[in-house]
Amino acid sequence: MDGKLYRLREFIRVEDKHSLIVDASGGLSLGTLPGLEDFGMATRSVLGIVDGLVCSPGQFRRIPDRTRGEASLLVRMDWTNTLRGSDFVLPPTNVHHLPLLTVQDALDLGATAMVSSFLLGYEEEVEAGCLRNTVQWAMDGNALGLPLIVEVRTTGPRVSIRDKAIELGASYALEGGADAIVLPYPGRKSLESIAAFVSVPWLIKPSHFHQKMGIVSFENAAPELEEAIGLGGAGLWLDHSVFALSNTSVVLQEFALRLHQAMAVA
Amino acid sequence: MHSGLEARMARLFNRHGDGRAVCMAADHGYMSDVTPNVVKLRSITEAAIRGGVDGILMSPGQAMRLASLFQGRDGPALIVRADWMNMPRLGSANVANAVPQRKLFHQKILTAEQALSLGATAITIYLFLGYGDEAEATGIDSCARFASECRKVGLPCIMEPLAVGGQITGANVVEVLTLGARICVEIGADALKIPYTGDVESFANLCRVSQVPVLVLGGARSDNERDALELFAEGLEAGCHGCLMGRNVTKSPNPEKMMRQLCQIAHEGYSVDEALRGERWEHVRLKATASKCTGCQLCVTACVGAHDSGEFSTHLSRLHIDPVALGQHKVMFCTLCKKCLDVCPTGALKWHDTTGAVELIVEKCTACDKCVEICPTKVIMRSDTSIRFNGTELAWYPIVCDLCGGDPACARICPTEAIFIDERKVIR
Repeated sequence: MDGKLYRLREFIRVEDKHSLIVDASGGLSLGTLPGLEDFGMATRSVLGIVDGLVCSPGQFRRIPDRTRGEASLLVRMDWTNTLRGSDFVLPPTNVHHLPLLTVQDALDLGATAMVSSFLLGYEEEVEAGCLRNTVQWAMDGNALGLPLIVEVRTTGPRVSIRDKAIELGASYALEGGADAIVLPYPGRKSLESIAAFVSVPWLIKPSHFHQKMGIVSFENAAPELEEAIGLGGAGLWLDHSVFALSNTSVVLQEFALRLHQAMAVA
Repeated sequence: MHSGLEARMARLFNRHGDGRAVCMAADHGYMSDVTPNVVKLRSITEAAIRGGVDGILMSPGQAMRLASLFQGRDGPALIVRADWMNMPRLGSANVANAVPQRKLFHQKILTAEQALSLGATAITIYLFLGYGDEAEATGIDSCARFASECRKVGLPCIMEPLAVGGQITGANVVEVLTLGARICVEIGADALKIPYTGDVESFANLCRVSQVPVLVLGGARSDNERDALELFAEGLEAGCHGCLMGRNVTKSPNPEKMMRQLCQIAHEGYSVDEALRGERWEHVRLKATASKCTGCQLCVTACVGAHDSGEFSTHLSRLHIDPVALGQHKVMFCTLCKKCLDVCPTGALKWHDTTGAVELIVEKCTACDKCVEICPTKVIMRSDTSIRFNGTELAWYPIVCDLCGGDPACARICPTEAIFIDERKVIR
């Protein structure tokens, strides 16, 4: 077994090949986020529930007492201002996307995997940079045994067909060397297409979860998750907004329970 | 030459000892939309390997993932796409274009050393011509850096000049491709991947000025697989060293068969027809299905066209179409019945040694007319002109079907396949 497979199995469970991952790295671009004011304490409560927790490089030190049975720590490798909206305190005028770490840096931090964004729909240079970084991290990760998770973000203004853009992003991530892919929910037809050609584990970011912030429930994301799992998907990827809930642990517990028990969902 | 470069060039181009390589481009998922050939990459790759492919072009990610397919003594050579571009997604005219691009972006992705670490036998990079001075200069800079890196580690650098963009017209595309080929060689390309220029003559010139092995690419897939095979056969005739075909193989309903046909043409000297039928016939004969004949006379025209020696006239055709009734025709052609050979008093008619067709030894002919008279299908014609040899003059000589050297033009052109070729197993 090579290092990448070994590490992938640390957060994609061997028994059901499913995974629940929470991305708590949004502060890199957005600063202090609701529910994540005390990063260590907020994430402490979910470490025993989820399989992977995505952190920014600087937040790794806030989780010093993690045990092996708890969530794997995945490190965010890049920075972008595309998460910021026009109502943000520093609204972006130009899109930027930068690599922050080398694979050796990620390994030194103790990360189990690297996480990067693949941005589609922005300037040509941004997309080209994403591809270049993906290949370089994948190549170096291959040499050092550290898997790369690529999160496809089709949020640019030039995206004309969203579901096809998500397929394209999945294809680029795959061809670039991703070891796992995270996708926004693209609709049933595209999901079938993606399931047919993506030969690495893939997780979905449920659309309902994000659209109905504050009234998150498993029932909202249920049909999408059910579809994804039914088509061979590896699980669920939730962003930092889950920490804004008053019952974060309960919600995540429910997701984890349903996901790993592979029960029919609502 | 760097010994590593020599060894890798030989691995790619000399697998069969003929200096040729039949390769498949499977890097489309890296640059264009998700098409069926991208979705079924693994099974298509496996099929191409069964078909005998010599080399496969892939993106770095897929090269890592499908590394096991390239292992072993008989495994194909891995060619890694070392750059990336967005050309297939330029413009918004294509309604399937999910994320349209406004300007060409082309960049280096891998170093030569990284490609080596993937197990690459060669790398491929683009050179864009026709998008303006800046794009060309950037491309040349990029190609030069690749060439330098590749030289240091002994990795063959296959450059792919493409004539696209606003400066390219139908009138200058061949000239620009030839220019691009030569520029790539001057920069340091070890081989070229290049589109076919459309005719043997101009492509032969391109191959000649290139001075390095040229691999012809297939371009967009044609619905008729004969088109791709003919393109390749013409490329070989022009002097190229093989092909690096993408969509014509990866989008083929049967990639294994298509690859086998390309290999047969390149490595076994098959004609396109032989490759299409999957076997080589030593001798052929003509056959016809009268009910399929529409009486269009294309076969007659093709026949005289194929034998044009200044006597271009359909009455000298070696076959003819006889109307039987309204809409019904009889195809009259040489059936190789041997009656003419038997009746010839001087032995002037014989079976041709290689084609098996009737051959006239004109020096022995006395123009006795017996062959013309006995021919049951009336396809031996008297020539319009006399012929002089060894001081004697024949007023005319018999014109016999020579089966166009084994590839009859009549069968090739018939739109309804009313006239076709079959194997002639026995010659007696």
